[in-house]
Amino acid sequence: MIRREIVLPAPREDVWEALTDPERLEEWFANDVDLDLRPGGGASFRWSNGEERHATVTEVEPERRLAFEWEDEGEVEFTLDDDADGTKLTVVESSPQWSTALDLQASALAHA
Amino acid sequence: MEHRSRPSGIRPRTRLNNDSVDPLGLVLGALADPNRRQVIGYLSERGTATATELTGELPMTRQAVAKHLATLADAGLVESERRGRETRYHLTEAGAEWDDRLDALVRHLQRRTAGP
Repeated sequence: MIRREIVLPAPREDVWEALTDPERLEEWFANDVDLDLRPGGGASFRWSNGEERHATVTEVEPERRLAFEWEDEGEVEFTLDDDADGTKLTVVESSPQWSTALDLQASALAHA
Repeated sequence: MEHRSRPSGIRPRTRLNNDSVDPLGLVLGALADPNRRQVIGYLSERGTATATELTGELPMTRQAVAKHLATLADAGLVESERRGRETRYHLTEAGAEWDDRLDALVRHLQRRTAGP
């Protein structure tokens, strides 16, 4: 599991829009974004290197929580909290591939 | 800021859209070989190494080392980075992709605050 916490210099409303408005997502996340913002809605992300990923929205709680599942594998959850300096954003991504890779690396270390 | 950014020159790992690729199978296959586990052990101790350094430290030919590094890279366990004329290898840090994305998000929000 990957977990990142970061305080962003913007109010929750603005961060929510940056995470959910395709035009804004195209400014930082991917080059071409389609997003149907409702549980069960589809999302597509395309990058300039030809990479393309698809996801299904699983949770939408405006200005508070957004979750989606990658079509290939893994799940991403964004949680927004108020912070004195703006908005605290927590990102959790779980993927069977990564957790296995990390567990196996850890056990390789333990037996090295 | 608590997150670290990735050294320049390392590209984010891209995912294949090919359904026939079995990522978990690649990881397990890569780790099944004791020589490759030695490579992982060395990289986790030293942080980074070139194929030449690995050849000097491990009881393997340079050709074998190169082959093992390619297998580990295909499984997403190892990444390479070119520094000048040499290529250095290090273990993939899960989450580095998010460090880059969140850096981009911060810059995006800052641009808008400073904007027109």
